[in-house]
Amino acid sequence: MKGDIVIIGGGITGIALAHELARRGEDVVVLEKRFIGSGSTFRCGTGIRQQFGDEANVQVMKRSVELWKKYSEEYGFPFKQTGYLFLLYSEEEISQFKENISIQNRFGVPTKLITPEEAKEIVPLLDVSEVMAASWNPTDGKADPFHATTAFALHAQEMGARIYEYTEVKDLIIEKGEIKGVKTNKGTIKTGIVVNATNAWAKLINAMAKVPIRIPIEPYKHQAIITQPIKRDTINPMVISFKYEDSYLTQTDHGGIIGGVGYEVGPTYDLSPSYTFLREVTTYLSKIVPAIRELLILRTWAGFYAKTPDSNPAIGRINEIDEYYIAAGFSGHGFMMAPAVAEMLSDLITKGKSKLPIEWYDPYRFERGELRQKALQMG
Amino acid sequence: MRFTEHPILDFERVRGREVTIYFEGKPIKAYEGETIATALHAAGIRIFQHSTKKHRPRGLFCAIGKCSSCLMKVNGIPNVRTCITLVEEGMQIERQDEKPVLPKTSKPPKWKEPPRIEADVVVIGGGPAGMMAAINASDAGAKVVLLDENPMLGGQLVKQTHKFFGKREQFAGVRGIKIAEILSEELKKRDIEVFLETSAIMLLQDGDEKLVVGVRKNKELVEFKGKTVVVATGAMERMIPFENNDLPGVYGAGAIQTLMNTYGVKPGDRVLIVGAGNVGLILAYQLYQAGVKVEAIVEAMPKIGGYFVHAAKVRRLGIPILTRHTILRAEGKEKVERAVVAQLDENWNVVPGSEKVFEVDVIALAVGLRPSIELLHQIGCQIKYVPELGGHVVIRDSRMETTIKGIFVAGDSAEIEEATTAMLEGKIAGISAALAAGVASPGWLKEVEKTQRELEEFRSGPFGRKVLEGLKKVVVE
Repeated sequence: MKGDIVIIGGGITGIALAHELARRGEDVVVLEKRFIGSGSTFRCGTGIRQQFGDEANVQVMKRSVELWKKYSEEYGFPFKQTGYLFLLYSEEEISQFKENISIQNRFGVPTKLITPEEAKEIVPLLDVSEVMAASWNPTDGKADPFHATTAFALHAQEMGARIYEYTEVKDLIIEKGEIKGVKTNKGTIKTGIVVNATNAWAKLINAMAKVPIRIPIEPYKHQAIITQPIKRDTINPMVISFKYEDSYLTQTDHGGIIGGVGYEVGPTYDLSPSYTFLREVTTYLSKIVPAIRELLILRTWAGFYAKTPDSNPAIGRINEIDEYYIAAGFSGHGFMMAPAVAEMLSDLITKGKSKLPIEWYDPYRFERGELRQKALQMG
Repeated sequence: MRFTEHPILDFERVRGREVTIYFEGKPIKAYEGETIATALHAAGIRIFQHSTKKHRPRGLFCAIGKCSSCLMKVNGIPNVRTCITLVEEGMQIERQDEKPVLPKTSKPPKWKEPPRIEADVVVIGGGPAGMMAAINASDAGAKVVLLDENPMLGGQLVKQTHKFFGKREQFAGVRGIKIAEILSEELKKRDIEVFLETSAIMLLQDGDEKLVVGVRKNKELVEFKGKTVVVATGAMERMIPFENNDLPGVYGAGAIQTLMNTYGVKPGDRVLIVGAGNVGLILAYQLYQAGVKVEAIVEAMPKIGGYFVHAAKVRRLGIPILTRHTILRAEGKEKVERAVVAQLDENWNVVPGSEKVFEVDVIALAVGLRPSIELLHQIGCQIKYVPELGGHVVIRDSRMETTIKGIFVAGDSAEIEEATTAMLEGKIAGISAALAAGVASPGWLKEVEKTQRELEEFRSGPFGRKVLEGLKKVVVE
């Protein structure tokens, strides 16, 4: 068996990339050790935002939102621009967000500072007694990870991409610095190009490839909850509070409230649920929306933030290995960034360059000691 | 309608103070100690909610807090399980006809450290298995705490008005309701702390010990720390597919027993029972005792599944038992008004033209149970699908210890059987849990072995055959 480009990892990043490459007429294969989305994508908080604090992420996410909109309309999966609402509780927070807003506005993202009363109009159940202001961008949103990933996968396959589930990569075959193939539990695939899109497991694939530079990506356990469904349009935007342990919450299409807090454990590959998290999440979410205390939690689960030291992913080509690319270490932003990452990495693979600021995510920056400004992160 | 007279039960004696609750603003008479669902049913209210998408009427189904058919809005709070929530003076009860709306008036909760109850053995479930586990663990020297999400101890015993079989030490000749009382008394004598209306929501490994996270009365967090845990969470009623099986008036057999035998409320006037196992047969007799007409029992199998003595008793009362018959559909506008049944051929196909219509207002499903293994599943016990035991069950050893050290299982949550075997398993699990906690002297092992022999003896008859076949697949050493 062979493929011109082999993508390792069937999460949203690998699937969206396969979709984009197939769209451009490339011969592409995805290898996924379980089923698509099973790593972190199907466990994510569903949010998609452009409210970042640096130019690169704002630009990339603006493009990503355009693509989310385009493909959700074409393929008919739920993506809703219901906004992101950051609740701000101090002057320092407000001044920090004012800076962010000016960067966002410069690139055409219509974020604005609003009053607590205006925030309460958007989400009437909010407790704004301690809130001083809020940063509000109505064009941010959320998508259903199950429908979205499946839609990208089906359309990628229609365009010729091959997706192999339950196919685990065991080793890479590299001769004289050139990739020759990928060994899996189901046999070997001949290829000249490999993309490591395994996020939380990226270090394992990098070790197989003997990547000569340091790319620190470590898995951290983050947990989430979902409540019983309630009437739609109760909590439309993603609501964020840094004051309450980086909490986030929003309502899914089905009606349940999905949410999480900053509590993390790691580095680890353990995904067992924890009581500490459950206590934190019930405490903090009900401080933001007190009425949530009247709801029962249906499920709690865990997934990974594949974290880098600056919370920005490593996206690019590893020059010492012909041809090895990486798109991993999304630090909790993999789902929202995926369509834009697919576009810029496809540009890099097929044209050698991209119009999007891909250099911000340069995988060599860790080796050089040039860390980026930490990407705005929650949950 | 409430019973005032019953050949076995005296409800006037057990009913508490009269209170008034409000359904959609209308006052309703209720008694302290009964559940919201019971009071509504007694007042003739059958529709508790409408489904959110197709707006189909829904009513009571399991009556023990395990399905979601009875969720209602109580004092503004959505999704309250009205079948296990007790009435309180002035309660405002509303139907949920769409996905719930949250109250605007909720205040942020004040977080306080939850009480932490420490014990050697934590028992989850206060039915026959759980109570026997608690009593025996305590006798073996363990400090025991027991929690149950129902408002009273006894599990399903509290509605068993029939007398038990077996040996004298296994309560032969004693009615289930009486056994529940006896075991509750034994718990009290032993100073075993009991938490009622307390749901176990999480089971965790906590260092070398276990942590059971409980929620009392749907609002207060309570932590139970134990060296070992016995999970005796019982079972839930099975449902079978037929047209309109969600109409109010289609009840699990256990729900009818709860209404009738625990709370003294007449479930309906005319009943069709689906399933001629022991549960269906006993239910028919209990309905007759309470003055409710049973039109027929239908059984899809070619033979009656239950004990001969029960079947003979039911037949003597003139209740037809139609084997090789099944229910095709329930009919009625907002609740059951009639049931259509039909004969099956040897290939399980409906025999054309064999339809019979029964004018009934209740259809009782006595089509089996499945073990409640949610907590065991959550903590990661190894699970296997064994149809002979009722579905998904946990792998365990002969002392009822699961694949996670220190977690024991007993009763219907281990496999679907009956109260007598549940009590014997509870005893084995309770003593073994005390041994594993390091508080019982090794001499107690003899008592475990003795009980294992009793259990073996009880299962040696023809009715134990299926369970024994199933156990071969899950009991490991």
